[in-house]
Amino acid sequence: MKRSAGKLLAVGGISCGTAFALHWAGWIPLWVFAAVVVLAFPPTVLALFLWWMAGEGKEDIPFIGY
Amino acid sequence: MIAELVLATLFGLLLLGIHRKVIARIQRRPGPPVWQEILHAAKFSFKTTWVPATASRALFIGIVLVAIGIWTAAFFVMMTGGSLLVIFGIYMLHKIVEHAFGLSSGSPYGKFGGVRSVISAASEIPLFVSVAAIALFTRSLTLSDIIAWQQVHGPLLIIAFPAAIAMYLVLLSKMPFGPFSIVEAKELVSGYKTEHFGVWRAGLEVCNGLKTTVLLATFLLLFVGQLPIWWMVIGMVIITVSLSFTCAITPMLSPFDSVTIQSLFTGLMLVYAGIVFLGVAA
Amino acid sequence: MSSIGGVPFYILEFGDELVYFTPYTITLFLLALVFTVLVILSRPERQVDIAFGGDAYTTKQILKDEMRFRRFMSIACGLASMGAMVTGDIFNFTLFTAMVGITNVGIVAAVKSPHVQNAAYQYGLVALSATVPLFGAAAVYAASTGSLSMIELARGTLPAVPIIAKALLVIGVVGEGMAPFYAAKAEMFRAPGAPYVIMCSLSSLLIFLRVVEVVMLG
Repeated sequence: MKRSAGKLLAVGGISCGTAFALHWAGWIPLWVFAAVVVLAFPPTVLALFLWWMAGEGKEDIPFIGY
Repeated sequence: MIAELVLATLFGLLLLGIHRKVIARIQRRPGPPVWQEILHAAKFSFKTTWVPATASRALFIGIVLVAIGIWTAAFFVMMTGGSLLVIFGIYMLHKIVEHAFGLSSGSPYGKFGGVRSVISAASEIPLFVSVAAIALFTRSLTLSDIIAWQQVHGPLLIIAFPAAIAMYLVLLSKMPFGPFSIVEAKELVSGYKTEHFGVWRAGLEVCNGLKTTVLLATFLLLFVGQLPIWWMVIGMVIITVSLSFTCAITPMLSPFDSVTIQSLFTGLMLVYAGIVFLGVAA
Repeated sequence: MSSIGGVPFYILEFGDELVYFTPYTITLFLLALVFTVLVILSRPERQVDIAFGGDAYTTKQILKDEMRFRRFMSIACGLASMGAMVTGDIFNFTLFTAMVGITNVGIVAAVKSPHVQNAAYQYGLVALSATVPLFGAAAVYAASTGSLSMIELARGTLPAVPIIAKALLVIGVVGEGMAPFYAAKAEMFRAPGAPYVIMCSLSSLLIFLRVVEVVMLG
């Protein structure tokens, strides 16, 4: 889990960075850059959290009351 | 633009922290430090996480991605001065996101929160549409056109004051601890987000931070116009503090009353739009 | 049009199979698509019922046949919403909207709960009667302007659309599941099985968003 989250984090980070660099250099229009970030930013954020979280727990039923 | 995106998220969380602090001080409690919401997001992201046994797995995880994705899109639309209708569409989609958050886990508390979010959508969304009344003045729904129009004719806050009130109510409906926050009422534990804990909740916090910044900045752009960045920041803090005052001194309404009051304002807005339309047509 | 939903990226003019993508319609289309994909991928949730006062709880199971039918109806609903988002023809829009109403009843029709069945029946009645103003609006559009194409309407060269046509269109869409007629629809969410019932609310809110754009044209 942590290993694949790390890979996803790297892929997401690189694609956001590349899109930013290409847009900054004027090679791709703004909407392409925006589309890449909109698609890549959410998985990157979640992958970052999944990568550094404490560990995976065993699945449980939902909270059913105090 | 990526740095701005991350800063906007952190700033939104800071605004939510200020919101909590102001409410606490009005209620004569010490309250948490203003950066508490940022710490919250970080704390949740470190916690042990899993997917509940009864959940619909793909939806449970996918909806967190959708939540962050739609507000990232809204952020870009706002920064580039795109169509107000797109931001409005994303605001509506956030209702479906809350609905899906609640329903995906199988928890009865989440389910009630999710159903409440759809019921309140029925009254909140027409309220947002009533902001379209400003299109009668500006002849356009593109943010950049509206900003340009205000540079010539003065701020819409004065010219279309009732529309500003409608949009302010939309902001109020989205603030936590407010009179219309029926989706996360305490009788439902945490409402729609009851079962999204750990990393999933941290993702939701990122979405909330971004959402707060986008909605407040859109309000300022729409009714005051383009301001220098520091004035934008100050304006957003002022609006947050005014919202906090409203939240601190009003009780949470019952779902039925919440929908009734919002519908009442929508009715008033329709009358206002009618008057403006006749005035423009005449 | 460019002042409402943004400058169109792409217009396909092929008789009445008129399709166009503005930033607004493409956002709505993509979201309908994302949720349809989620419906295809997800297995349904198992709703937990608590026996209050004790530690006992039960989970609801959804049988395979029931799941298949509901999944099919949800995908049909997603396709109808996607159609309503991108079409540039008033009549096609009303047609897709009516289809959304029908599939919404279908999504919960297989649930074996009297509350849900009753709510679905009541919602079906409202949706059925709402088709009269809906198609009536398309007829008035055609009769008064001579065109059903949203592109033509947005150009502003045609006669103005009478306010009654716009009002009928909005009433029709609202009847398919917005504010005052929503009570029956909320009851439908008693049905277990998350990704499917979400399509009910998603589709009707999407068509409402689209109709906001449609009435502003022309």
